[in-house]
Amino acid sequence: MSMLRSSLLRRGEPAWQRRLPVGLAALAALLLLYHLFGQSLGEFPVAWNLQLREPLDAFKKWLVGSRSMNPLFLYGFDPLSGGVEWVIRRAEEFLLWLPWPTVGSVLFWVGLRVGGVQLGLLAIGCLGFMGGVGLWDASMQTLALMVASVSIALLVGIPLGIWSAHSDRGEAALRPLLDGMQTLPAFVYLIPVVLFFGIGRVPAVIAAVIYAIPPAVRLTSLGLRQVSEEVVEAGRAFGSTPRQLLYKVEIPQALPSILAGVNQTIMMALSIVVIAALVGAGGLGTVVLKSLRQLKVGEALEGGLAIVALAILLDRLTAAVRRGDEAGRGAAAVRRGWVPEGAVKRLMFGWRALPSSVRRHGWLWGGLLWGSAVSALCWALGWVDFPKEWNLSLAGPVDAAVRWAQLHLYRIGESGFGTGPVSDFMSLYILAPLRQLFAELLPWPALVLLAAAAGAAVGGGWLGLASGSSLLLLGALGMWQGAIDTFTQVVVAVLHVSVIGIPLGIWAARSPWVDRLLRPLLDLLQTIPTFVYLVPVIMLFNLGRVPGVIASVLYALPPLIRLTRLGIRQVDETAVEAATAFGSTPHQLLTKVQLPLALPQILLGVNQAIMMVLSMVVVAGMVGAQGLGLEVVDGMQNNRMGQSVEAGLAIVVLAVLLDRLTQALARR
Amino acid sequence: MGKSQIACRNLWKIFGPTPERVAAEITAQRTRAEILQTTGHVLAVRDVTFEVAQGEIFVVMGLSGSGKSTLLRCLSRLVEPTHGTVLVNGEEVTGMDERQLRQLRRHKMSMVFQRFGLFSHRRVLDNIAYGLEVQGMAKAQRLARAREILELVELTGWENHYPHELSGGMQQRVGLARALAVDPEILLCDEPFSALDPLIRRDMQNELLRLQKSVRKTIVFITHDFLEAVRIGDRIAVMKDGELVQVGTPEQLVAHPINDYVREFTRDVPRVKVLTARSVMRPVHAKDLLIGHAIAIDTTLEALIPLTVDNEAGLAIVDEQDDLVGFVDRRAVMLALAERGAGS
Ligand SMILES: Nc1ncnc2c1ncn2[C@@H]1O[C@H](COP(=O)(O)OP(=O)(O)OP(=O)(O)O)[C@@H](O)[C@H]1O
Ligand SMILES: [Mg+2]
Repeated sequence: MSMLRSSLLRRGEPAWQRRLPVGLAALAALLLLYHLFGQSLGEFPVAWNLQLREPLDAFKKWLVGSRSMNPLFLYGFDPLSGGVEWVIRRAEEFLLWLPWPTVGSVLFWVGLRVGGVQLGLLAIGCLGFMGGVGLWDASMQTLALMVASVSIALLVGIPLGIWSAHSDRGEAALRPLLDGMQTLPAFVYLIPVVLFFGIGRVPAVIAAVIYAIPPAVRLTSLGLRQVSEEVVEAGRAFGSTPRQLLYKVEIPQALPSILAGVNQTIMMALSIVVIAALVGAGGLGTVVLKSLRQLKVGEALEGGLAIVALAILLDRLTAAVRRGDEAGRGAAAVRRGWVPEGAVKRLMFGWRALPSSVRRHGWLWGGLLWGSAVSALCWALGWVDFPKEWNLSLAGPVDAAVRWAQLHLYRIGESGFGTGPVSDFMSLYILAPLRQLFAELLPWPALVLLAAAAGAAVGGGWLGLASGSSLLLLGALGMWQGAIDTFTQVVVAVLHVSVIGIPLGIWAARSPWVDRLLRPLLDLLQTIPTFVYLVPVIMLFNLGRVPGVIASVLYALPPLIRLTRLGIRQVDETAVEAATAFGSTPHQLLTKVQLPLALPQILLGVNQAIMMVLSMVVVAGMVGAQGLGLEVVDGMQNNRMGQSVEAGLAIVVLAVLLDRLTQALARR
Repeated sequence: MGKSQIACRNLWKIFGPTPERVAAEITAQRTRAEILQTTGHVLAVRDVTFEVAQGEIFVVMGLSGSGKSTLLRCLSRLVEPTHGTVLVNGEEVTGMDERQLRQLRRHKMSMVFQRFGLFSHRRVLDNIAYGLEVQGMAKAQRLARAREILELVELTGWENHYPHELSGGMQQRVGLARALAVDPEILLCDEPFSALDPLIRRDMQNELLRLQKSVRKTIVFITHDFLEAVRIGDRIAVMKDGELVQVGTPEQLVAHPINDYVREFTRDVPRVKVLTARSVMRPVHAKDLLIGHAIAIDTTLEALIPLTVDNEAGLAIVDEQDDLVGFVDRRAVMLALAERGAGS
């Protein structure tokens, strides 16, 4: 804390800048006293409302009404919508037309090719699970949505990335846009899209495309810019045309980075495609949402796990493609002991003796051949739909388990422990008082001043002004209450994340076995889309604010643990050595050297955690948590566009505000 | 030597936002540092003129930042010269359009890089075939050609490996093979051996000389190692702050360095290996006793010393036509060794 203060009072800043936060805070205190002992300052004045709601609703009405005549729709959105719908339909028809063993065996083939037997089996296991819980068709629907959104996102994103790598002006134009896009929770993207594309699968795909484009652009551009200058020069020196240079040198050299972008694009698209259940996208997300709403927890869990299986399948396959170059893969298989070394050598050298075009595309042709053979066989035998008899039927046992949990875990014996008391404790003694503090005790002008003071303290006068105005804007959007509710949940969740995550990160940095234990767990947690976290939490904690908070804690833990660990690991060896040489105990080493030096990384982790918590808390609106998320969902489902837009804007304001504040703090 | 293959006239390269304007303001008196300070522009190559003959190994050397790489890249316009002309076989490179330039790079000039510049995603064989591939040569043909070259650089058996699986020296052989595969007339080498260990470097120098015997390319070779320059160069150009300070044979530089900058480079050279009778002899006087063998003019000091040790009188020196051109005695040899050239 003292370190923080000293860094806040850096010398060399003008005196007024140092005094500004203090002054603002003092003013806030005066207002508080006046509010408590004088006259109440009341609610945020209704007169200041921007009155967006009616015009927006009217606009939407007009939009829908004029749809058949408006050239914007006739020549813009409608054809676009038709095209996207066409792609989705073809993909879905194709996937459902294929016999299920074909999908399985082709993905097994791909897994084998990119990552070895293990990955092939994993692919089969994931697909088997989806079929086993009776969600084959829903899974294929979601997969079709993914095929459509990812292919469109890559078709747009990769060329944009190439452009931004080759043109500094292009990069300068795209960067702020991409930065902004990455700050917003997935959820927010659905609102404007629904306005123009209505509900259904098309808006889901379009929102997913928009949300998932940034990593494709960014990592393509980054990869291309990182290609060694000498290698590019060598390409030019041998007389390559710009096109030859791009296809023969730059793109192959940047491929690992581009594929990392593809992987991220896929995972981000998945998170939206799932949330888009809210606008009627169908598929697995809808299964989960419907069951949650009817409190059929077992079915919700089946759907949730199917989503996780799909996520793992897509993530591991693309991650393996990224890692696997031919030589590396052979070596890895031998190291793992899958294949005897001699066999690999013979196979690889035999393989290499083939002409390279066959070699390069051999897997592809082999896969097609293999897939067709399996299909033909299955059609002949009539194995097209996933057999109903093979039912894992988790729902029944899970529902029983949930009932049991509600009976027995809710309050364990007479001990006073259990999920019920935890939930109650959290909402009664943490969430409620905090909310009361912000909503009732502190008058709204004092909050505005405090936000300004915080902004000024971490980022100077301009940030102070921006923070204060952001709060005013929240009020003017008519979302003061919702924002405070969401903010309270974020604060509580982030505190929990920090209290759990930072020590775990430190521990992982210092103990290799903790690290090894945590890593696969974190990998798994990071693969799961937001929405799915809600399912198990709701099983244990019922509906309300608390499950949202708990789910968001789980969701946001991994990046903070990772960044804390990384920060401490990255502390300069010599600094650690020097401190040890001066006789520091491990504890002194940690608190006096490692933690202070790792602080920027840790704060960056907190920043990420805040953004992730925010997105989860907003998603929690779908299952009834109060706040901005609920306002959006409510608006969408009751055809009150204006309300959704207002709440969506408020989420954007809150997200940008929290992001800028914590980033400024991390930079200091 | 043969006819001139590369000619470079009044070449300038200025890095910065407005090089043309700065070029106009430069006067002979202003140093590079002054120009950098007042205009923010880097004067990388300053009014450089030289010619390279066919089949010659022309070495450019100088301290780091003296503009060697920039000069080299101006020759194939990988760096666009600000001013001046470059001629290859009498054709003006500086006036070519994109297409002509590509043809030049594809067929006439190849390049070898300091950190090899290999394509890590391509096998050795595909690396070597790259130049042929962008020319549009059919696959079977270019791979066959690449195999031939692979044999030439003694890497047979490595064609299907990736560059990172090879040692540094082997990687540079691939770099060399890639450049030779297109059978260029000119080879541009930017410190090709600087990233290698001293022993490997020596191997590679020998390799280059061996190859040069059979392929007879015109080579512009950059190094900052004077010993390397002496070993492989027919002529050496010394650069300082973007200018050519002196151009000459290794012996000329060692025997008659034009200033301290050049002398500093020549300091570590084993003079007995570089200097020959040519630079230690003096004109024949009437009183000289012309007895014993006559010595050829290109005999190095290393060979000359044993002969002068027991010879009080001195030795007669004859040129290629066996005409008497000079006279060397023990004193002249010793003075030359003490770094004071004959006559000085
Ligand atoms: N693209 C560029 N933009 C601006 N300045 C450059 C650029 N390339 C080179 N320079 C500058 O031109 C000068 C000459 O650089 P050059 O690379 O030709 O030197 P060099 O003799 O090859 O040095 P080294 O031995 O370190 O390779 C240096 O001062 C360098 O900073
Ligand atoms: Mg250089």
